[in-house]
Amino acid sequence: MAGDLVMTVVDKGGKPVPNAVVTVYPSAGLPGGAISFPWGSTMVQQDIAFNPHVLIVPVGATVRFPNKDKVRHHIYSFSKPARFEIKLFGKDETRSYRFTTAGAVALGCNIHDMMSGFIKVVDTPFAAKSDASGALRISGLPAGSARVVVWQPMMRAKYNEITLNLNFGRTGATQQRVPIEMRGGA
Amino acid sequence: MSAPRLPYRARRFVLRVQSRLSVKMTLVFAGVFIVATALSLYGTRNAIERYAESSINHEMSVNSEVFNRITSMHFNQLAQAGQVLAADFGFREAVATGDAPTIESALDSLKARLNLDDAFVVDPYGDIVGLDGSIMEQQRDTLFEALDLGNEQGIANWANENHMVAAAPIKAPMLIGWVVFARDFGPAELKDLAKLSAMDLNPKIVARGDLPEGVALTKSTGKAATERLVDNERILFSASPVPSLNAKEPQALLLEYSLTTAMNQYMPILWAILGFGVVGVVLAISGSWMVARRLVRPVTALSEAAKKVSAGEHAEVAVETRDEIGKLAKSFNKMVNDIEDRERKIAHMAFHDGLTGLANRALLREHISQRLTMLERGKHFSLFCLDLDNFKSVNDTLGHPTGDALLCEISARLQKILPDCFIARLGGDEFAVVSGDEQSASMTARAIMSAVEPPIIVNGHRVIVGTSIGIAVAPNDGKDPVELAKNADLALYKAKNDGKGGFRFFEATMDAEAQARRALETDLHDALRNGELELHFQPLFGLSQNRVTAFEALLRWNHPERGRVMPTDFIPVAEETGLIIPIGEWVLREACRVATHWPDDIRVAVNISPIQFRSTALNSIVLQALTSSGLEPGRLELEITESLFIDDVEATLASLHSLRELGVRVALDDFGTGYSSLSYLRSFPFDKIKIDRSFIVDLLEQDGATAIIKSITMLASALGMETTAEGVENIDQLDILREQGCNQIQGYYFSRPIPEAAVLELLGIGKEPAARVA
Repeated sequence: MAGDLVMTVVDKGGKPVPNAVVTVYPSAGLPGGAISFPWGSTMVQQDIAFNPHVLIVPVGATVRFPNKDKVRHHIYSFSKPARFEIKLFGKDETRSYRFTTAGAVALGCNIHDMMSGFIKVVDTPFAAKSDASGALRISGLPAGSARVVVWQPMMRAKYNEITLNLNFGRTGATQQRVPIEMRGGA
Repeated sequence: MSAPRLPYRARRFVLRVQSRLSVKMTLVFAGVFIVATALSLYGTRNAIERYAESSINHEMSVNSEVFNRITSMHFNQLAQAGQVLAADFGFREAVATGDAPTIESALDSLKARLNLDDAFVVDPYGDIVGLDGSIMEQQRDTLFEALDLGNEQGIANWANENHMVAAAPIKAPMLIGWVVFARDFGPAELKDLAKLSAMDLNPKIVARGDLPEGVALTKSTGKAATERLVDNERILFSASPVPSLNAKEPQALLLEYSLTTAMNQYMPILWAILGFGVVGVVLAISGSWMVARRLVRPVTALSEAAKKVSAGEHAEVAVETRDEIGKLAKSFNKMVNDIEDRERKIAHMAFHDGLTGLANRALLREHISQRLTMLERGKHFSLFCLDLDNFKSVNDTLGHPTGDALLCEISARLQKILPDCFIARLGGDEFAVVSGDEQSASMTARAIMSAVEPPIIVNGHRVIVGTSIGIAVAPNDGKDPVELAKNADLALYKAKNDGKGGFRFFEATMDAEAQARRALETDLHDALRNGELELHFQPLFGLSQNRVTAFEALLRWNHPERGRVMPTDFIPVAEETGLIIPIGEWVLREACRVATHWPDDIRVAVNISPIQFRSTALNSIVLQALTSSGLEPGRLELEITESLFIDDVEATLASLHSLRELGVRVALDDFGTGYSSLSYLRSFPFDKIKIDRSFIVDLLEQDGATAIIKSITMLASALGMETTAEGVENIDQLDILREQGCNQIQGYYFSRPIPEAAVLELLGIGKEPAARVA
């Protein structure tokens, strides 16, 4: 008794935008129970980069930060939902941090300025991230209207997100193509 | 050239200027100098202006370059400082966590340390933290827009002031804002910049839309500035782009410099040139005036001299210099002398005979005229007109060079014997002598003749000439040169008529005679045309035939007023004027015509004048008269006189023979008078000899006369010629003549000359048979 949202995120030029996180909040309310996502909650530092670049985790999740590089990293976040600092851990060392507030957390490395990663802490089970072709699918959505939030770290918008109101049928996929404005360069 | 509306004074001035070389030259030189000065002034001014312009241009391009360097230095400094701050972890944390007090304290300490005017942070949503003072919303949005678009350096405006701005993004690692450092860039700062330049270019930062009209933005340095007129001042503007933080509000650096001011700095130079020009013009005017005066003065002198020369005076100019003017003066003097020389020669030629060097007719007239006016009361002088006898034949037979030599010799002789007399050659063989009354005119005339007469050897020829002289004595014979000369000529004419080699004084009657002759000449001219001429015929009676055998045609002139004019009066005139030729022709034709009405055995005799005889046309005239009348040639008898033999025997004989060939008879008239020579009779076989009447008259008075007649008739018959006795007036003469064997008689005894009609009557034609005289 649920529909699917099939969305493609593109920029103004029509090119697919990956790493866009879509969260859906049906008017009917969220289902109860713990939220878990199949992709786990591990953010690896490898090759002087965060992997994945964007990680969706539910509120209350503890994210592990294994270091697979030979160099040290100094992970920090000044983002409101989670301000923390994980200093100078070495190779194969794993630290973790528990995210208790929903929101976007921008991760950086104080040693490597070019390293950038995001953890999107969500409070809904209906969340997904666009792949390289800008496509994503969220299944099992209850019928009726819903608030759909599209977030992308490079989106030129307040809090890097936009909100859509969509209606979902009882069954079938609701196709949606969402164009967003991207920041150039940064 | 003068316009009709020019006032009179101006026109006069123009005329005077045009007529004076010195003024003209001065004006030209002054004009040239003024033009040269004006050109140099103009050229200098232009050069200065170009120089000033290029200096300003250069300065402006240097200036904008300096400006660019300095501003970019500032920008780099600001940007570096901003980047340092933006990279600071603690600062990033403060920005990320919105820790405003920490941010502001950090900015303040940096502001003080880096001497910044402004330092603040802009967050990704355009909010500003840490800015002292206020910023309007619009300016804030403009600032944010530029930052948001990634522009990090440039000029930006807020709080009514331009600022040099450099921004550095703050990343944590996502962009969480910008550190913005700014320094004021207002008029004061620009003024400080301007101090770096040699000239005050009044640099301004102007929004590009606010540039003065027509001033374009120069993209590259070194481009020409634009000139604009602002409040009557020529101002050069140069606008170059400056980096603007927000590309939507582009700014430009506007430099300006007043060309008028720049030019004013050079005005002293221009004034100096103008001053020198004025001084130069004054010098040129005075200098060229002096040169022109020096040039013109001798020219004026030449002109004056030329005027004098043309008026016939002698004039020379002083040769003062050795230049062209001096040469001109020299040539002028030479020309004047040459002209005078030539005039003297021409005058001499005009008054002298080229051959002998004697005075000519004009000078003679002048001389006489002078003498007449100077002649004292009771004094006389004589004019002798000379005409050489036989000169024409000398010229014809010996040639002109001989004739000329002869004239020169005569001239020399005259000058020799008459050293005190005025001698002139009037042309041809005519000379004139004027002598005073120191010796009698007759003596002078004789002296002249005896001087001319002695034989002259010229070109190997011995020539004898004589002269006839006519004398007129002034003042009685003429009150003026023309009259005196005319009268002397009349006297000469008379002298020649009287026989060559004599002299005659002028007599008053000569003048009257001459006039009468001229009147007769005129009338005679008309006589032929008017039919006033008539032929009468005097019979010749053949003694052996005892009948009239011929008639002699005799010319009669019945003038309507003069009445009957005697042949002795008019024939000489006709001969002199040449009228004898047409008259003679008429006589021949008329005689032949009349004779055709007569019996065949009666001839007609016609007198031929020597003039007529010598004319080459005589033969054809005779032939025509015969042909047109149809008269048998043998019935025409031409009577010629002995005088023909005097001039040229050979020619006369030739003519006679050719006449004889026509078949006509030829008789020798007036035989026994003049230069009778028996040799003529031997040289030409005359048909008849007419014995002159003088012998007949003598027959009854002189004893020897009969013997002469006898000898003539014997001689004639021996030569086979007939004889005719003229002027037989009585029976006694007739008897003697018949006795002495004369063939024919002619005279009043038998008949006077009778008209044509009477001849017919005498011959009994149409009336009765001719009366036969026993």
